[in-house]
Amino acid sequence: MSSELLSQLPPVAPASGAGSAAWILVALPALGAAVLFLGGRRTDRWGHLLGTATVLLSFVYGVVLFFSALALPGEERVRDLPLYEWFASGSLSVEFGLRLDPLSLTFVLLITGVGSLIHIYSVGYMAHDENRRKFFAMLNLFVASMLVLVLGNGFLTLYLGWEGVGLASYLLIGFYVQRPLAASAAKKAFLMNRVGDVGLALAIFILFAQLGTTQYTEVFARIGELSPGAVTAVALLLLLGACGKSGQFPLQAWLPDAMEGPTPVSALIHAATMVTAGVYLVARSHPIYDLTPTGQLVVTIVGAVTLLIGAIVGCAYDDIKKVLAYSTVSQIGYMMLAVGLGPIGYAAGLAHLLTHGFFKAGLFLGAGSVMHGMADETDMRRFGGLWRHMPITFATFTLGYLALIGFPFLSGFYSKDLIIEAALGGSPVRGWLLGGAALLAAGLTSFYMTRLMLMTFFGPERWRSLTPRSAPWDPSLESEAAPQHPEPGHGSPEHYHPHESPPSMTVPMIVLAIGSVGAGAFLVIGERLGGWLEPSIGPVREVEEAVIPTGLVPGIASVLMLLGAGIAYLTVGRRPVPVERPQRVSLPVRAARADLYANTINEKAIARPGIWLSRALVYVDNRGVDGAVNGTAALLGGASGRARRTQTGFVRSYALTMLGGSLVLVAALLAVALP
Amino acid sequence: MGSQSFSDALGVDYGALAPLLIVLGGACVSVLLEAVLPRVRRRSVQLVFSLAVVVVALAAVIIRATSGAGDVVVLAGSLSVDAPGLFLWGTLLALAVPSVLMLADRSVEPGGVFVADPEALAEAQERVGAGSLRSTSSGLPSGTGTDTHGVVGRRGGAGPEPTTPPEMHTEIFPFVLFALGGMLAFSAANDLLTMFVALEVLSLPLYLLCGLARRRRLLSQEAAVKYFLLGAFASAFFLYGVALLYGYAGSVRLADIAASAAGPLRSDALLFAGLALLVVGLMFKASVGPFHTWTPDVYQGAPTPVTAFMAACTKVAAFGAILRVFTVAFGTTALEWRGVLWAVAIASMVIGTVLGITQTDLKRMVAYSSVAHAGFILIGCLAITPAGLSGTLFYLLAYGFTTIAILGLVSLVRSGDGEAGHLSGYAGLAQRSPVVAAALSFCLLALAGVPLTSGFTAKFAVFSAGLADGMAPLVIVGLVCSAIAAFFYLRVIVLMYFSDPAPDGPTVSLPGPMTTVAITLGVAVTLLLGVLPTAALEWAGAGTFLG
Amino acid sequence: MSPTNYLLLSALLFSIGTVGVLVRRNAIVVFMCVELMLNAVNLSLVTFSRINGSLDGQVMAFFVMVVAAAEVVVGLSIIMAIFRTRRTASVDDANLLKY
Repeated sequence: MSSELLSQLPPVAPASGAGSAAWILVALPALGAAVLFLGGRRTDRWGHLLGTATVLLSFVYGVVLFFSALALPGEERVRDLPLYEWFASGSLSVEFGLRLDPLSLTFVLLITGVGSLIHIYSVGYMAHDENRRKFFAMLNLFVASMLVLVLGNGFLTLYLGWEGVGLASYLLIGFYVQRPLAASAAKKAFLMNRVGDVGLALAIFILFAQLGTTQYTEVFARIGELSPGAVTAVALLLLLGACGKSGQFPLQAWLPDAMEGPTPVSALIHAATMVTAGVYLVARSHPIYDLTPTGQLVVTIVGAVTLLIGAIVGCAYDDIKKVLAYSTVSQIGYMMLAVGLGPIGYAAGLAHLLTHGFFKAGLFLGAGSVMHGMADETDMRRFGGLWRHMPITFATFTLGYLALIGFPFLSGFYSKDLIIEAALGGSPVRGWLLGGAALLAAGLTSFYMTRLMLMTFFGPERWRSLTPRSAPWDPSLESEAAPQHPEPGHGSPEHYHPHESPPSMTVPMIVLAIGSVGAGAFLVIGERLGGWLEPSIGPVREVEEAVIPTGLVPGIASVLMLLGAGIAYLTVGRRPVPVERPQRVSLPVRAARADLYANTINEKAIARPGIWLSRALVYVDNRGVDGAVNGTAALLGGASGRARRTQTGFVRSYALTMLGGSLVLVAALLAVALP
Repeated sequence: MGSQSFSDALGVDYGALAPLLIVLGGACVSVLLEAVLPRVRRRSVQLVFSLAVVVVALAAVIIRATSGAGDVVVLAGSLSVDAPGLFLWGTLLALAVPSVLMLADRSVEPGGVFVADPEALAEAQERVGAGSLRSTSSGLPSGTGTDTHGVVGRRGGAGPEPTTPPEMHTEIFPFVLFALGGMLAFSAANDLLTMFVALEVLSLPLYLLCGLARRRRLLSQEAAVKYFLLGAFASAFFLYGVALLYGYAGSVRLADIAASAAGPLRSDALLFAGLALLVVGLMFKASVGPFHTWTPDVYQGAPTPVTAFMAACTKVAAFGAILRVFTVAFGTTALEWRGVLWAVAIASMVIGTVLGITQTDLKRMVAYSSVAHAGFILIGCLAITPAGLSGTLFYLLAYGFTTIAILGLVSLVRSGDGEAGHLSGYAGLAQRSPVVAAALSFCLLALAGVPLTSGFTAKFAVFSAGLADGMAPLVIVGLVCSAIAAFFYLRVIVLMYFSDPAPDGPTVSLPGPMTTVAITLGVAVTLLLGVLPTAALEWAGAGTFLG
Repeated sequence: MSPTNYLLLSALLFSIGTVGVLVRRNAIVVFMCVELMLNAVNLSLVTFSRINGSLDGQVMAFFVMVVAAAEVVVGLSIIMAIFRTRRTASVDDANLLKY
């Protein structure tokens, strides 16, 4: 097995030509961040321009590198650029360098490309924020860290970027620090990410302790030397890291809360780039996963569970950004499922990652544009009929929406079908379970996204007939949902003046919409992406023995998509949407009695279980997973607070503590040492 | 005839001992200077002299380390000058440079942070007339509950405000040199008696230094009393351990203890009880939990430069001694006692991390962080392998400089008449002083162990050594604890960058050249050891202990 | 008389000193208890010296005495200083630094 695998690993050539200066990619945004952080108020006037320019330049350079790599024959496309020896002493030897190969270059283009658009968008979006400079500094820091993450040529370099994006994301989620929700969301994101980080760090330590190196080249060449158990342990620990960063089950709960950050952040970090780091990690470590079927199986299960959870919970929220956030969780579940499937899925997962980067970023920017026009409102019940007022936003949002639900011949259609086909392969039981989950979630995606579209852009203009504010329903913020702009009159009709956003915001949306339409076809037809990525992740394998003939998959997926959209139209589009969330009595039994959707028998048969399920999952999410996180935090805080009281300030009680410790130590040593 | 053969006859290798002799001799000369110099010139002369002593001793260490002279045991086997010992000496002396600079600085606190010289005080009083003597020394933090203005009796440290504040006590310089000499001897001690004497030589001046703050006298003196009483208590335990080990082996030489333990079984109860008591004394100095209880109080109460000196140098010396004891005297019996010390390391990491979460005073937070770090370092000590040794040595170097930089930065943030220790004072610091906030953030990230800082390299070295030596549970606890601990470091960063400063919040004083140099040195080394750690790692791994 | 008895006496004195540190409030008395602990160790050292038949232990006892004397100087000066500002030598009153 391992020898066969080793032969698949392409040779690694040293980088030359344009590639030899690839460090510029990282250096530019890092420089931008440093100047903006250290420059202080002096850079307030032009800081955002500098921040945007550095990322744009990085993108241009990335394109140059991409074409120079295209010009190389396939087997020379994997190149290493050693920068310097980070440490070397006796048993320790770690090199700091960059890995330029199709996989990393693909991510470079995604990160810098989408990153540039979002920087441009933020110039307009954050125009009135007095901390705009700081915001751009952190965006730059994020882009630089993310580039280190994908460009590093070893696990330690990856870890450097990993910590960096975690830090930047923590800071950006908590950007509106004066809002308690933002602070607690940042805390939750931080804690859950740390759980993942510990997993990643342990995996790296194990590799280092066993192999004495963390460079990809050597680790992948010698991974066969490890015992199967160790390989599986490493694979599972890496997966834990990936789950934390990518918001995968069971660590998914931080991602929706992270929407408390400014919308461009949601688009850049929590939709397009950082959350895909986990997928990148698994794809990058494919030689490890290829050796451990158990590890792969766990990855697929995590992916399948997550994509279902995300899709089901997405149906329950009224907050436009939260729905998109759960949609992100679900779509990344698709990618995780795909890369867990092994060589048949790598290319599919990465294709979906790229198309998702386009349409989800576009959708988030669209949502931001809606919020911009609606005084930062996020409750969809207070929208309605907006298509007349913001036509460009509406048009781009619609394209993103169609791409996401897999409307034929748009981006999502191609990439999602690839994943579903791959998931249907393998043994029948596995194929039905995984493929069935993927198909079911496709229908659900269509349902919640259609609901979002209908509530936001169609129907009566509910914001015209609002009574002053009452809090939007959201399970996580029931008690403390503070209006974001507490000036008088908020929530009354006069407060809303929907309008189209400035060009700096609409242009990126248009660009992303074009990508949402065309990227899928471009990447998938003729296996362009698969062929390009082959040196990094091996050749694409065809699906064998699928439980449903692959030719039928696009048809079935389309039918499910139409079904989901149809149900959404029947339940939401045809009837007035109450502005206030119907009173929720208790969960989960009374919840099913909520009369929001249930009018006809037809609806009862389909909608009620759906509502019940989604509410139940929301409940579990909040009380279970969130409960675990918050519980851990509360436990630590409480333990800390109580233990703190033992530091009484009395010197005699300190002496007593020391004596107690000494006695225990003496007793334990004597007990252990003396038979 | 001549000094050469005379020294040969005594078996004294002056080349090997030079750094220690320079520092202790310098300390004695410093006492004399204190006696003969006129008061006005004392501070400048003492400062230059102390710095010169430290730098010359450091040069002697470097010369010795690069000369290729082999490891030797000197002074009838009481001191061992070997490669790890030289690394520890180099670390201690290198850390002493910024410490001395910070101790001597008087730009941040007018006249220096230490209590005023009584003569100078008297002169100052004469100038303005005794009637206007005002007590400015009662700056307790609010909320500590005691009315400090009701204190009776004579109070030192109060200067009339219109004139320049009186000079500080210059005795601190000989104190620091003696403490430093004790630390050098402590980390090189090859028998337990020398170790005990060195322990006292390093401790006694530190007790005094803790109590000499110009401001917040009550807190400072309380810290001194607590440190002193608990320190004396701990050294009694240490000494009892020495006695038991002497009873066991018939000698206090570390190598003899190892030889006895390897020989036919005698009374293992003496050996392990002795080890336990010895370890209590050592761990007290290294502030390993649960023997850490003095740490937060003393760190908070002592003048900040003293805290920096203590936090950085004492830890190096104590862990140097722990390493030597574990490796040389107890290496052969490691399998039997190591499991128990696992529990100590875990306790220390957990205590430091959990208690650190709810701290509201930055110096106390640093104290708990040092307890947690002591647990991490202990992982390296327990891995009795070359990798563990070099990782621990590197960790001590990295941690020392980061801590000095942090405490130096803390001393700059001031409100009213003293330091603004409370975390709320750091809100919006980035707006008042971007450079101080950036430097503090960087050092806190280093404590959290973020890559490209020295903290990451150090943790990596120690944890990988621990994992390679079969201590996976410890490493997992270490990783989880550093993950949690990162939270309270980041909280300070967020506070500095994202909160709005309170209108009556603290100010950031512009540091004088000496504090600036000290902080810059700390930050630079933290960065350097994170980016280019190779040279330091190589030196740390250059050799092993000589029994 | 068996030397072991001296060791037991030494352990007893050490324990008395330890308990004294824990229960007495006056800093000077606490400090005296620490000195008692050190001297208990001295007794052990001398006894072991006798058992082992080497003089090292007795020499060590002298070292300990000198160190203890130095500790007294430093300790009393610290206690004096805090007594001057607080007019009390109770260790329980020095309780501002906590939590």
